[in-house]
Amino acid sequence: MTKTGMTDARVLELLETYGAWPMAWPEEEREAAEAHLAAHPERFADALADARLLDAAFEAEPMPEPDPSLAARLLADAPQPRTSRDSLGARLARIVMPNGQRWPAGAALASLGMGLFAGYTASASSVPATYETEAEAVVYAALGYDQYDTYLEEVPLDE
Amino acid sequence: MAQSALVSRHMPVVWRVAFRMLRDRQEAEDVTQETFLRAWKMLPDWEGRSKFSTWACTVAINLCRDRLKKKAPILMEALPEREAGDLPPEQALHQKQAGARISALIDALPERQKEALTLSALEGMGNKEAAAAMQVSVEALESLLSRARRTLRQALAEGQEE
Repeated sequence: MTKTGMTDARVLELLETYGAWPMAWPEEEREAAEAHLAAHPERFADALADARLLDAAFEAEPMPEPDPSLAARLLADAPQPRTSRDSLGARLARIVMPNGQRWPAGAALASLGMGLFAGYTASASSVPATYETEAEAVVYAALGYDQYDTYLEEVPLDE
Repeated sequence: MAQSALVSRHMPVVWRVAFRMLRDRQEAEDVTQETFLRAWKMLPDWEGRSKFSTWACTVAINLCRDRLKKKAPILMEALPEREAGDLPPEQALHQKQAGARISALIDALPERQKEALTLSALEGMGNKEAAAAMQVSVEALESLLSRARRTLRQALAEGQEE
């Protein structure tokens, strides 16, 4: 046993379980196992050769690929961002006439509508299109990235 | 854009896992589509869940298991080594035939061993993630992997002796 707690038996297990490529070994044991193997190569020569043989066979295994059109079909099923917004008039009508009354009487109400209209147009440009940004944040969080920029740093689109 | 990134990154793995389990391109597509349909529904409430790749592989594996149960219950347990010795020995020297041979040998593994090998050795998933995707412990995953590799090593050795 080495100082790190790695044993011959565990190195043999790693070779038999994960193969000869250290990157396939459990991360927390990799360094110790590599050091142990390097320190006593004669003990693991046969197991290493066996593992390499099988790894080479896996390399020969043809990598099946999905139909190129599948991605488009999956995306067609994905929830779509809002593409159209209610007309301004309809929004105002809902604000001014929440109960659907057709003709509220009085000029006061008309001026209230005009005021609301002016207020809305002044602020509409600052209203964010929240759907896409929130949805994208969720997706990139699911991917394990803080945001799209971070994703692109690791996974360029042309990969 | 985000959904496209999600699909381009994870769809091929999900499809390959399904294809390797079902050995049918169309069925693998069906499983992949069902997996992503569920993903689209889950994403708005994703916060705090596992990695997407783990979750997607778990869903795909479970869908495959359901299909295999319906298709042929006998496949759930140890399979005979069908096709393992079918290739003439001289062909095993060639790369293409070697690939076909290892595919056939992997295909003949018991289902759980095939799942473990697909995720770990063929798709390069880490041991913890592969175990999580299969909903087993890391120890169980290692047991499945070592048995799978032992079976394959023996079959390859026997093939070379023929």
